[in-house]
Amino acid sequence: MPKPFTSIVLVLTLLMMIPLALLAKQRVIKGRSPRASLVWDMDNQDKVKTQKANAMFADGRGMRLPPEGTVARDDVVGNPGLTEGMVDGVWVEAFPVPVDEALLTRGRERFEIYCAVCHGYSGEGDGMINKRANSLMEGTWVPPTNLVSDAVVARPVGHLYNTIRRGIRNMPPYAAQIPVDDRWAIVSYVRALQLSRGAATVSDLSAEDRVALGAAAE
Amino acid sequence: MDHDKQGRDSFEFPKWANAIRLPVALMAAGAPVYILGMLYLLFDPGTTSVGYQPEQPVSYSHRLHAGELGIDCRYCHTGVEKGAAATLPPTQTCMNCHATIKTESDRLTLVRESYQTGLPIEWVRIHDLPDFVYFNHSAHVTRGIGCESCHGRIDQMEVVSQAEGLNMGWCLGCHRDPEAHLRPVDEATTMGWTPGLDQRELGAQLREARNINPPTDCSTCHR
Repeated sequence: MPKPFTSIVLVLTLLMMIPLALLAKQRVIKGRSPRASLVWDMDNQDKVKTQKANAMFADGRGMRLPPEGTVARDDVVGNPGLTEGMVDGVWVEAFPVPVDEALLTRGRERFEIYCAVCHGYSGEGDGMINKRANSLMEGTWVPPTNLVSDAVVARPVGHLYNTIRRGIRNMPPYAAQIPVDDRWAIVSYVRALQLSRGAATVSDLSAEDRVALGAAAE
Repeated sequence: MDHDKQGRDSFEFPKWANAIRLPVALMAAGAPVYILGMLYLLFDPGTTSVGYQPEQPVSYSHRLHAGELGIDCRYCHTGVEKGAAATLPPTQTCMNCHATIKTESDRLTLVRESYQTGLPIEWVRIHDLPDFVYFNHSAHVTRGIGCESCHGRIDQMEVVSQAEGLNMGWCLGCHRDPEAHLRPVDEATTMGWTPGLDQRELGAQLREARNINPPTDCSTCHR
């Protein structure tokens, strides 16, 4: 047998390990390069998709901002009590939407997504962001309002709605994140939180419920 | 080159060739296996797609915001229940908090610039399906497919990377067997959710109750 034969086999076997090692590395290590496209112009077509950049416009945005004064098809117009929480400069006192269990359930879900981060799940202003800001000793941080305090209980629902829509003091507006219906749902849930935290008295209960409560107490 | 008895050109294997018959046969048989195996690994989504972790313009930490602080996915990704795209938040959403928290942080310089100029931050897209695939987030999230099923434990990622292959076979795997992934709709954004009972049992119940029959025909995604 020619002498180099064994060495050649050995070297070849070792060389075969290189692609294997490279592939193994690629599979384990996080990479900075995106997936390779075999057919690039099929995978990445020259069309505008949501939030995609487009060099055709000066600001590079593929999605255009709506021209001023335009109204989206599902926008509600002509009902300021519903959309602004205010009619003729006076806060709306009664809910402009029917308050039922579905609204409260929706309100709770939305409250816990958008409000609880600062105001806390109970509405007392002890959310995680508040805790974080305090632990960072942020001088610019203003603690969120206690939503179950007397001051907020006294506010008309239109005022609470407006606070979500346009913000108040240090709280930014949430109109972009929370649509009209959900804002009212959240207001209804805030009212429920207030009632659950002592804003309600026994006299607010129906006669039937009062009997039930009395029975439970005995 | 030798000559045979009739004087024609002939080739005779040297004696030592007998000794290498087995290794050569093994190599000949192994080569296709090796090459096919390498090609399979090369094109496997686990190699090509999983683990894609581009550097983002702002070093935003999902681990801190979604994990430690427990901010719901939908606080920022507001489109996820309504439309095809989950949508990245506008800079305003960052400034909801960062107008008063960490106002001097170097890591937020780009965010403040974007807020002042009104020009968006150019985040690098990680989960990018080919443009001939029409995926809809709302169709999945509102039927009880959790964010986690496709995106992994985002709440544990300091820097987000792709957790799943997002290839067609992977999509079809779930469309053919949704029981393995269905969860209650109100737990869709929960990270690290575990079914109280057996996942298959719960999945079957949820599928029955919500009449979930994921289509597997071509035009569902390619249209």
